[in-house]
Amino acid sequence: MSAMKRTAKYLILFLALLVAIAPIYWMLTISLKTEADQFASPPRWIAFTPTLSHYYDAFVERSFGQYLVTSALVAVLSTAAALVIGTLAAYALARFRLPFDLDQKLSLWILSTRMFPAIVTAIPLFLMMRDLQLLNTRLSLVIVYTGFNLPFVVWMMRGFFAELPRDLEEAAMVDGDSRLGALRRVVLPLVAPGLAATAVFCLIVSWNEFLFALVLTQTDAAMTLPVGIAGRVTQYEIKWGVMSAAGAVAIVPILVFALAVQKYLVRGLSLGAVKG
Amino acid sequence: MGISFRNITKRFGDTLVVDDLSLEIDDGEFIVLLGPSGCGKTTTLRMLAGLEQTSSGEICIGGERINDVPTQHRDLAMVFQSYALYPHMTIAENIGYPLRVRKVERSERAARVKKVASMLEIEGLLERKPRQLSGGERQRVALARAIIREPRAYLMDEPLSNLDARLRVQMRGELKRLQHQLKTTTIYVTHDQAEAMTLAHRVAVMSKGRLQQFDSPMNIYERPANRFVAEFVGSPSMNFIEGLIDFESREFNGAGITIGLSENQMQVLSGRSAQVIVGVRPEHMSIHSTPAPGALAARVYVTELMGNETFVFLTIDKQKLIARAPAEFRAEEESDVWLQFVNEKLHFFSSATHERIG
Repeated sequence: MSAMKRTAKYLILFLALLVAIAPIYWMLTISLKTEADQFASPPRWIAFTPTLSHYYDAFVERSFGQYLVTSALVAVLSTAAALVIGTLAAYALARFRLPFDLDQKLSLWILSTRMFPAIVTAIPLFLMMRDLQLLNTRLSLVIVYTGFNLPFVVWMMRGFFAELPRDLEEAAMVDGDSRLGALRRVVLPLVAPGLAATAVFCLIVSWNEFLFALVLTQTDAAMTLPVGIAGRVTQYEIKWGVMSAAGAVAIVPILVFALAVQKYLVRGLSLGAVKG
Repeated sequence: MGISFRNITKRFGDTLVVDDLSLEIDDGEFIVLLGPSGCGKTTTLRMLAGLEQTSSGEICIGGERINDVPTQHRDLAMVFQSYALYPHMTIAENIGYPLRVRKVERSERAARVKKVASMLEIEGLLERKPRQLSGGERQRVALARAIIREPRAYLMDEPLSNLDARLRVQMRGELKRLQHQLKTTTIYVTHDQAEAMTLAHRVAVMSKGRLQQFDSPMNIYERPANRFVAEFVGSPSMNFIEGLIDFESREFNGAGITIGLSENQMQVLSGRSAQVIVGVRPEHMSIHSTPAPGALAARVYVTELMGNETFVFLTIDKQKLIARAPAEFRAEEESDVWLQFVNEKLHFFSSATHERIG
């Protein structure tokens, strides 16, 4: 009975893993196959002659290297900005009671900005950026992604701060520290796992974002990877090899970062669930 | 330094938490704020620390009004009930924190941390993290963090309440020694009357946000200002009997109990309402197994052997009383005994106001 249960468990896990990994496997192999092998029928699962020509094509012949730099810059800067602003806002909302329940109302209002579809804001944002002469700049994307990530940061961090006993900051202040000093030296180190988890999510969202990047940038100088990849689908041909090669490279930074902070990620997401 | 609370009131919304509190505390005094939970004692301490704003009134330290001085500039040290040790720092970093934020040099910091650590016998723990320490050790670390500086006063919020009984008594003694050595004004909040009686130079008893009495432990015990103080301080609690003074026959009658009163007592009571509450402490009653002149017949409800003494629960009609008897006292439940009061140790409270009459 228990052996059967276990077999069933592993079977389900195996199927789930297959579903998750199959597309990535497909993309990786296509990025390494010649165009003839890509469309062979039946598919050549393993036995094919690998080639790096698509990678060469994408990153040397074409501007994917530049897209990668843009994506990285925009993701990192917008995440950093959202974390700084959002954390301070979240701390204030978690710790101070404002008159007329404003702290509660403000929190909900901040969350409500995530309740309508992104496309609704795309046109106004395009017009605003045009008037500010920020179209086709990385800065425009940093600003938009920061704004987009802020509600998420505020709500995540507000929860982490609320879990933390006030005694600790109060002790720090009686010990002679200012509120900001207590935040920096006592509170932030204690919510570091939560901060890391929040940062990963912001990075992923900014890294993968497609819609705003498509609307706000059209030039190579400001284009991000997702837009660059999608741009290889043209009227005349679809460059599967180049797209797969760029896609394969696009996975790497987030994967590395997530592995690096994995320890915090798990602790951060379960922070407050169990008393540490 | 001396500390003054002048007409302090604190409201949370519509609830009055502290009501017109005034206290003058001398330099070097050990003051205990004593009262049941919700009496406003912790809020009072937090207002002194600047962790709560006062709704009205003034707080002064060393003559300087500090209502608008932020917490970090009040130069106080506080021991929290939860100890509030910083979990991510080592014990040495915890103790040195007040010096670190004051930008004291690293080498001097280390030396002073060592010094207080040896004072409190926790030198061996300096490299550990708070979660690796027992409750008693954490308590010592919290104390060390407070005494590493020479603040204007120490504030302690039920610092011993999370310790087991044996450790609590030991730490109580150490705290007393420490305060004698340091001679720094200390305000100590507790609901434990034993801590109040043993530690304090003066005790401020609070109830429902109001100061009930502010006096030395002995006066609190021997001359409680009202029925609340009389009942709250002392274990087991004082017995109360409601009744009337008969000014003609010079006796008190209530609940089937008659007590003859002395000349002195009649003088104190004269000219007042005949309706009084008599208070008598359990140790001011003696129990006899045979009738004695002037003794009242009572029935044993239950006895509790404490080892060094015996608590005897008695009934006279519907009136319940608790008496302290010697350790070897034995009596069956529902057996008859005879009870005598030490008359000159009786307390009289007004039935109407519950204030002390004499």
